[in-house]
Amino acid sequence: MTTVEQHPTNQHYDLDPRVFGLFLDESRKYSSGWYLGPEDSLELAQQQKMNLVADLVHAQAGRRVLDIGSGWGALVLHLAGVRGCDVTGISPAPKQREFVEKRARQRGLADRVRIVTSPFEDATGLPTKLDAITALGSVVHMPDLPAVFGKARGLLRRDGLMYVSESCFRSQAIRARFDEVEGTDFVREAIFGNGELRPLSELVAAAEDAGFSIETSVDLTRHYHRTIEQWIENVRANRAALERIQPGIAAQLEHYLDISNAGWGYTTKHYALVLRNAR
Amino acid sequence: MTTSTDTPAQITDTVRGIVAEVLAVPADALSLDTDLRGVEGADSIKVLRMIARIEREFDVELEDEDVFGVSTIAEVSDVVRKAL
Repeated sequence: MTTVEQHPTNQHYDLDPRVFGLFLDESRKYSSGWYLGPEDSLELAQQQKMNLVADLVHAQAGRRVLDIGSGWGALVLHLAGVRGCDVTGISPAPKQREFVEKRARQRGLADRVRIVTSPFEDATGLPTKLDAITALGSVVHMPDLPAVFGKARGLLRRDGLMYVSESCFRSQAIRARFDEVEGTDFVREAIFGNGELRPLSELVAAAEDAGFSIETSVDLTRHYHRTIEQWIENVRANRAALERIQPGIAAQLEHYLDISNAGWGYTTKHYALVLRNAR
Repeated sequence: MTTSTDTPAQITDTVRGIVAEVLAVPADALSLDTDLRGVEGADSIKVLRMIARIEREFDVELEDEDVFGVSTIAEVSDVVRKAL
């Protein structure tokens, strides 16, 4: 078993929380926004995205939800605070739990928010008979996708919904061509830690094999491109502050974000699937 | 935007200008048969960004084989001309 401290995603996600505060929006949501208009700010796009996800999994007051890869808690706090759900978040990065629990207390949501620090694959004692599960850009870190979907389905009630979004290779052919090139390696190994980009077809196959019905698919690629453009603008605007926290981090972040954005549509896509625990 | 009425020479000039800008080198330092991936400071990401700019400029979508296969300004100009 991988310990929490050794978990490969922690190299990136357990960086000083102030780093993320200097390029993400106030909610610290570290995934694609949802843009409805040409002038939408990053903050607005992230709120719109969280409402979209909440709608897609029918998140209403009293519903029980698990967020896999809950990060800095944006979606957990949104589902609890705006939708009145009872939310458990799970992430392997210890600093993230402290951060989310503090925000939950400040917002009077402590009784509706619980954070578990563990890789999802190893976690025991998670809530069951859930109404919904969300996993935004987190299964990329989990090598055994069939096991992840099987475990997730086992935690859902009958007819429960799972929203999973992921960066994907655009096709099997593109994967074969690019899985080993320099830029992909840099993103996967140096920063992401254990990132396993797959084509959408592999996500669909794993979901089907786990017994899910596939309800919806959404192409988020253009939205993610714009999100990352806005993150890069923030890195540039806050370069001096970032360098004071960790010398070299601004250039590293910009390089990583730049590589991610160059590939959209050519090598990579970003898709969301909504899965239903039903035949 | 550049249009389908452009002559081959105009297409080549536009492509050369974009390549020079993305690679941050003077346009006159780039000959038509310069290997784009061999220019100092070039990498696969910059080549991809270059292609993205060229596709936007000419409003075309190149085939994967061309996107990942072209290696000179002459080749890029040629596939753009065929796609227009």
